[in-house]
Amino acid sequence: MINFKKVSKIFYPKSVALKDINLHIRPKEFVSIVGQSGAGKSTMIKLLTAEEKPEHGQIIIGGWDITNINQREIPLLRRQIGTVYQDFKLLPKKTVYENVAFALEVCGISSRKIKNIIPQVLKIVGLKDKHDRYPHQLSGGEIQRAAIARALVHRPKILLADEPTGNLDSLNTKDIIDLLLKINEFGTTVMLVTHNKDVVNRIKKRVVLIDQGQIISDQEEGRYVL
Amino acid sequence: MLTSFFRVIKFSFQDFFRNFWLSFVTLTIFILALFSINLLIIFNVIAKTAIASIEGKVDIALYFKPEIKEDQVQNVQRYLQSLMQVKAVDYISKDQALESFKNKHKDNQQIIESLNELDKNPLGASLVIKAKSTNDYPVILEDLSDPQYNNLIESKDFDDHKQIIERITGITKRVSNGVFVIALIFTFISILIIFNAIRMAIYTHREEIIAMKLVGATNWFVQAPYLLQGIIFAFFSLVISVIIIYPLLGFLQPYLALILESDFNIISYFNQNFAMIFGLEFLGAIIINLLSSYLAVNRYVKV
Ligand SMILES: Nc1ncnc2c1ncn2[C@@H]1O[C@H](COP(=O)(O)OP(=O)(O)O)[C@@H](O)[C@H]1O
Ligand SMILES: [Mg+2]
Repeated sequence: MINFKKVSKIFYPKSVALKDINLHIRPKEFVSIVGQSGAGKSTMIKLLTAEEKPEHGQIIIGGWDITNINQREIPLLRRQIGTVYQDFKLLPKKTVYENVAFALEVCGISSRKIKNIIPQVLKIVGLKDKHDRYPHQLSGGEIQRAAIARALVHRPKILLADEPTGNLDSLNTKDIIDLLLKINEFGTTVMLVTHNKDVVNRIKKRVVLIDQGQIISDQEEGRYVL
Repeated sequence: MLTSFFRVIKFSFQDFFRNFWLSFVTLTIFILALFSINLLIIFNVIAKTAIASIEGKVDIALYFKPEIKEDQVQNVQRYLQSLMQVKAVDYISKDQALESFKNKHKDNQQIIESLNELDKNPLGASLVIKAKSTNDYPVILEDLSDPQYNNLIESKDFDDHKQIIERITGITKRVSNGVFVIALIFTFISILIIFNAIRMAIYTHREEIIAMKLVGATNWFVQAPYLLQGIIFAFFSLVISVIIIYPLLGFLQPYLALILESDFNIISYFNQNFAMIFGLEFLGAIIINLLSSYLAVNRYVKV
């Protein structure tokens, strides 16, 4: 599903963010990417969303080689991947409903279809009765659930989550992780970036440890050990 | 495609109203910029009218010798009328000259009596020349110095005017240069202010723009609402500045009528040139808006 082949990312003049990364993530897998701050985790996500391009190597998503993806194809790529971030990245002047709808509107999907889909998705994340709230009227956990709803609304095969619980307390963290696990059970490949030890240890799935841009360990049912 | 188009329209209005204060401030800046340009137009028109009304008072009178026949004078008149620089030539016949002379001195019995004693009209005919521009008088006089004409003429009163004309010409040049420079500076400042206002407005949206791109929006889909909003801003600021300017014109008009001593009407000037003035302002505002919105959004859209 996701394949990094000898991928290096260099931020000139001197920072090597990723070095010779080989990583294969199979369909429907749940992979946690862990490592200290500055290890290169977010850079991996940015390579997958084509925010950054690799200097060396090859990146393939669902059979699509996006290594040298051109500017016009980037939106198409992003519409097939769901992304969730630590800082949520919701549109502050749009309601929960409109934020989720936006991800469909950019694809040119008809308003009628949108009206059908959104209540279902909001129900999954438990925000059905808060659809007309603005982000600032929600708690951190609720905002992140709205962001997950937006990431899921076009039924992506891949969900990328870059420290989605970084701004949440432990109760909300548990909720969000449970939600991600549920999404994974429905068949979505999930790549979760985190440096929260408790989270990783509870998930009990594949863990990839990164340090200074290199993969240090890769274990099925791994634990976060340093 | 059509759905996207309607969505762009929806988003631009939504954004306009949901960021009410930002829109309000941006709009106010636009209105002030347009208002100052309109003030400048008013000032320019007033200056031009004032100069024109002073210039209009300047003319040259040619007094012909009494023995010169009417058709000779009319020859000169025709010649003058054929000159490019001449706007109008009025012919005042010997009889008219006498009439107005008598009229002028009707209280002076002595003059009237001595005139009546003469059996011939002692006054000559005259031509009053108005040039198209005060700059043209010297050229016209040059032409008239040809002996063919000069010999018919008893006197020209231009020398009295010469200094005034030179001074007016000087003032005209300086005022219109000054207005031009001020207009240039004003326009430049307005463009800078509008440009900056839009950059600031879009800077506050930069996170949103990035978020939109990460959800899979195309550059076009992100750009278009801002561009449309630029047109909305241009439109509303123009409408409001039209609404503001007319009461101001109405307020100014009585004073202008007094000062300019002419039938010039600033309101009808704006009415007559409505399409020109506000059309150009609208066009200019749109171009500046589109350009600055485009450039500002373009910085953040490259994600
Ligand atoms: N845009 C950038 N320009 C320069 N250096 C960068 C940039 N983004 C990330 N880096 C560097 O790349 C390295 C990895 O960053 P990142 O992937 O964000 O780490 P993290 O694992 O904390 O998410 C860090 O050393 C960081 O300083
Ligand atoms: Mg990071």
